[in-house]
Amino acid sequence: MPPYISIGGYSDQPRIPHFSIEVDRGELVAVVGGPGSGKSNLIKSIAGIRASATGSIRIMGARPGSIRAKERAVFVFQNSNFAPDLSVKTQLERRIALYRGVPPASVQRDLTNWCEEMDLVEPAGLLPRQMNRSQLQMLTLAPLALSEPLVIILDEPMSNMSSLGVSSALSIIISSLERASVLVFVQNKSPLAKRADRAVNL
Amino acid sequence: MKSRNTFLFRECIIILLKTKWVGPYLLLPPMLAFMVYAEAYLSAHGITGIFTMEQRTVLAIWNGSLLLALIAGIKSCLFFSGIWESRWFRNSLALPVSRSSGFWGPYLALLSIASVIFVLTTGAVLAALPETGRFPVFQIIAESYIPVVWAVSMGAFLGLLTTGAAGSMLFTALLLVGFLAGMPAARMPEWLFYIIPPVGRIMRVGLVFPQGLIQTGILMLHSAGFLLLGRILYGIGLKRS
Repeated sequence: MPPYISIGGYSDQPRIPHFSIEVDRGELVAVVGGPGSGKSNLIKSIAGIRASATGSIRIMGARPGSIRAKERAVFVFQNSNFAPDLSVKTQLERRIALYRGVPPASVQRDLTNWCEEMDLVEPAGLLPRQMNRSQLQMLTLAPLALSEPLVIILDEPMSNMSSLGVSSALSIIISSLERASVLVFVQNKSPLAKRADRAVNL
Repeated sequence: MKSRNTFLFRECIIILLKTKWVGPYLLLPPMLAFMVYAEAYLSAHGITGIFTMEQRTVLAIWNGSLLLALIAGIKSCLFFSGIWESRWFRNSLALPVSRSSGFWGPYLALLSIASVIFVLTTGAVLAALPETGRFPVFQIIAESYIPVVWAVSMGAFLGLLTTGAAGSMLFTALLLVGFLAGMPAARMPEWLFYIIPPVGRIMRVGLVFPQGLIQTGILMLHSAGFLLLGRILYGIGLKRS
């Protein structure tokens, strides 16, 4: 069984001369780096939306960007996770349905229940620009809870959250560790870096 | 078809049905009415000669096609360049969707909406003008649809190549040159018609055999060529991002 996430000999000169890591099921690993350290480029390379110059990246043994890798992994980017012209709820329904392989209508109830639990029913119906960043960031975590991914990769998922939001987000991420491996990219002070099983500096 | 292939198509359809994107098509009826009126006026004053009712109908269908091509091409430039520059769209390629659907999804969404508008416009023209039955309606409809496909394909290519505004201007210039080059008074070397889009020429000789068939083929090749170039640009852009 290959590691859930495997990065070997990744290099993004001059910011990242060499980076290797393996993350297994049930592990929460934090990659810590300041602004401009190359975190966002690395996450894009793992997602397969940016070609990495050197190194090998595998998600459950599959190449980044391949359907096999993308079906198992949920990526949460620091910003711009949603189209600006559509309500977040509509987009979440369609995305969760895409992961589950079912029609969007069949995930409506689950999403509504989750939003009720998180006290986000009203904001979820708005456009991304109409809600505050904390609410938006919390909503980007819905696919973690509702689409049961095996690999979760997050870029600064709590950078705009209130303390209440941070504790809710932490519990979503921790509960997903039962089935998944989590690789999170954060700055030094993030609570996720403290909670992680391992923290690796970029 | 699997949802991972159609996800971005459906996403783009929802976006393109917003007022901001559908709105420009509302310009089509007044622009078409103006052109039909202007042609009738010029004809009545002996400037363009007398048009028969069939000629007026054919002309009105072509006017609708070219105006629609203009709007659809500009929209295609703006939409493709807009989504290509937006981070949400690139990030959405991390979802379980096929990589090529990032190009074909928006393209087919734009083409589908332009096609629906084409059917509505042509239907309205045929319904508004008296039935004549003395010309091959379906052949003209098929031929006049090709500039719309060409416009969306060219718009996709230019939208990926440059900014929305620059692409739109370049597209408008190309359409205009293609249109004017096909007019009877235009004197151009024959080989140029293999480079510039023969939208004007197809309009003039569309019903003449075999010239009509040749011009139709050239415009289809133009369309396919620029579509292919757009797809190649998309692939290169993804690797470089």
